Amino acid sequence: MAEKTADAIKYKILRFLDVTGFTVFDPIVRLAFREEPKKQLESIFKFLIIPIMFICFCVWVWWTVAPNHKTKSGEVPTPDVVMQSARINHTFSEREKTKETDFLLVGEERLAALAAVEAEMESKSVILAELEARLAQHESNYAQVLEARLAPLQKELDEVKAKYDAIEAEKKVLITEAAAAIEAGTGTTEALLAAIRAEGIAKDESRAAESIIKDKIDAIRSDKYKPLETARLDVNAVADQIQFLKKRVDFLSQSNRSMKVLEAEETLMEYQAKLAKATTAKAALSEAKRVVRAEDSIERLEKQQYASAMTVYLQVKRSIFTVFVGFVVAAIIAIPVGILCGLSRIAMACLTPIISIFKPVSPVVWLLIFQIVVGAFFPDPESHPFFLFFNSLPFIGNLGINPALIFSGCTVAMCAVWPALVNTALGVASIDKDHINVARVLRLNFWERLTKIIIPSAMPLIFAGLRISLGVGWMVLIAAEALSSSDGLGKFVWDEYQNGSSFSFANIIYACFVVGIIGFCLDRMMIVLQRFVSFDESGTSL
Amino acid sequence: MSYLEIDNASIGFGPYDNRTEVLTDVNLSVEENEFVAIVGFSGAGKSTLISLLAGLIQPDKGEIRIGGKIITEPSPRLGIMFQNYSLLPWLTVFENVALAVKQVFPKYSKEELKEHVEKYVGMVNLLPALGKKPSELSGGMRQRASLARTLSMKPEVLLLDEPLSALDALTRAVIQDEIINIWESDKRTIVMITNDVDEAVLMADRIVPLTMGPAATLDDAFPVDLPRPRNRTTLNTNPAFRRLRNDISKYMVNLNDEAKALQASQAVVELPSIMPIDFSVLPLKPARGRRRAVIAKVVDRETTFFK
Repeated sequence: MAEKTADAIKYKILRFLDVTGFTVFDPIVRLAFREEPKKQLESIFKFLIIPIMFICFCVWVWWTVAPNHKTKSGEVPTPDVVMQSARINHTFSEREKTKETDFLLVGEERLAALAAVEAEMESKSVILAELEARLAQHESNYAQVLEARLAPLQKELDEVKAKYDAIEAEKKVLITEAAAAIEAGTGTTEALLAAIRAEGIAKDESRAAESIIKDKIDAIRSDKYKPLETARLDVNAVADQIQFLKKRVDFLSQSNRSMKVLEAEETLMEYQAKLAKATTAKAALSEAKRVVRAEDSIERLEKQQYASAMTVYLQVKRSIFTVFVGFVVAAIIAIPVGILCGLSRIAMACLTPIISIFKPVSPVVWLLIFQIVVGAFFPDPESHPFFLFFNSLPFIGNLGINPALIFSGCTVAMCAVWPALVNTALGVASIDKDHINVARVLRLNFWERLTKIIIPSAMPLIFAGLRISLGVGWMVLIAAEALSSSDGLGKFVWDEYQNGSSFSFANIIYACFVVGIIGFCLDRMMIVLQRFVSFDESGTSL
Repeated sequence: MSYLEIDNASIGFGPYDNRTEVLTDVNLSVEENEFVAIVGFSGAGKSTLISLLAGLIQPDKGEIRIGGKIITEPSPRLGIMFQNYSLLPWLTVFENVALAVKQVFPKYSKEELKEHVEKYVGMVNLLPALGKKPSELSGGMRQRASLARTLSMKPEVLLLDEPLSALDALTRAVIQDEIINIWESDKRTIVMITNDVDEAVLMADRIVPLTMGPAATLDDAFPVDLPRPRNRTTLNTNPAFRRLRNDISKYMVNLNDEAKALQASQAVVELPSIMPIDFSVLPLKPARGRRRAVIAKVVDRETTFFK
């Protein structure tokens, strides 16, 4: 009995792996249930260990090759730098979250948090002072070391300079002599030319000798002294934390929402007092206006939310939202039109030219077209009811839905519609003739034929098309965002490219992995859906 | 007037200048509750004939009548069972049968529907696989499900289009018996298309050969007056059965042009009746001398015994 439940669990897990397309992990599950351990170990080695080793090899190649290529934005980042940039991005988003909670804290809680933050700041300041002292120590130490290493080279350089200066002076004397000899009528022009050439050669030699030594000096100067580097990084890290704590203090005191409201209420009371005392009509009018304005501003303050900076996670969220908007629009258009095309050869003939001409058009062109078209619909996007409505909704409200998102989504839809449409049409048109005969023998009406025979039969191909569409959409979206400055991963990459900080390149590569991993997850999701609607047990290609 | 009639029907395909006549002047009349088998070579137009009967296609000339009424479209009076099962692969056996039942009996309640479906699925011994998809079934089980779907519509005439040709020999025998049992217990008219003469002789009341295409037609019928129930094992030694089978086989072979060419050079020979020899009685080593004579005797006895 126990064995049977174990088997049932095992097959459930295996079935799950099969549906999600992770059959690679099958042997591990089977091994855990002690099924033919030798065979499982063998396939684990073949299909898991060797691929992992290969990936490690690729990472190693990256690690060794990358630093050799110097670019305008610094060296090509190695994997550890990319990991670090991922960590930095993560910290940034965590801090934004903390600031948001700080901004909204009220009363006792706010005071407690403020006290805690101030205490932390104090202790950090002490640490910072220590670290700075250590850094200064390291700096002076290293300066001495550097001096000691450079002194002999400097001396050598001076010697070389002196030597060549002497030679050059000698050559100059020879030139003057040769020129004088011509004047005196004893010399030849050849001798003068030879003297001038000799001087030139001597100069080149001196330059070459000096540059060899200078290169050595530069190499020593650019040498990285590990303890110094770490000390510097430590100082920077703590300084960064203190900076953040200062911000927190700000959000817990002056910039805190409840504090702002309090302040505004005081002003309001002041105006109300003045209004009560007002005697002339003019004064009363102006004070009354002020009171009303102050009341309005309190109302606004009470509703105010923290304006979070765009963290990479927010960008990811927005990108995924945009791609789904585009994808859903594409599916809503593609499936009915595809079914129509598959059913009616006339519809197919009508749409074939349109499909053939617009399918190869670049997403960039669509983006520009939609930018113009969508822009015309929303002359004043800030106060357009459409956006006000969407931005007041939960979950998607903080994504900042704007025309840029709409036309990025439209571009995605425009590019994603074709694979789904063509596949749906193909699926409907290539329905098994036997199934049509069944429909005729059962005398199904048009609607029943469509829902009971045609759509289920075309389902696997429809989903295969949708899967391609989503992949295309995701690729297009990143480009569209980069070009249109619509917030999202594309803009993240573009901004990094533009701002050129020391971590920009690493951030771009980090974004590359984020885009890839999300694309992979979206694709897997579609595979699972496709597996659920497929009636044949054949697997889907990965 | 017969119950099911094909009256001088002809059909062809293709444009007028490159037309292939598939069937010309086909005549057939089937009595009520009769089991008729139509035997023909592949490509002769058997499936076209059954599509005509089912109303899936219309004849160019002539007409097809059931109970005096001309068939112009598929009708619930005619149930067709297709050669390659034609089950909908995204539905379970139950849903496949239920889809058909709902069309014919739209007023059924859920319970009635379930009962009806289970009755017919039970009739073909497929109840354990009620909730399975066709892809999880063997060929024989699929064909049973297809049969259950056709039967569940309670048609007056069953049209079977090579129902067993895709099955292995053992499953085929089992389903042959099932079809005969159902036909005997629940009398109705059956027209079965097959390319297997033995099967036709075993099952049918009358066998109608279809001549070679193009422009094939139905020839004179061979009545099968073997008593029922027909037992597959004893039938093999029944002289009437063997004569009938030989006659039909000879007729069919004669239809084949190649065979005709082959026979033109030879006199018409009696087809030898070959029976296997029980080699277990023979010695394993090559025999010589006296033992050879003994073996010759055994072999002679074996061959003459079954003649």
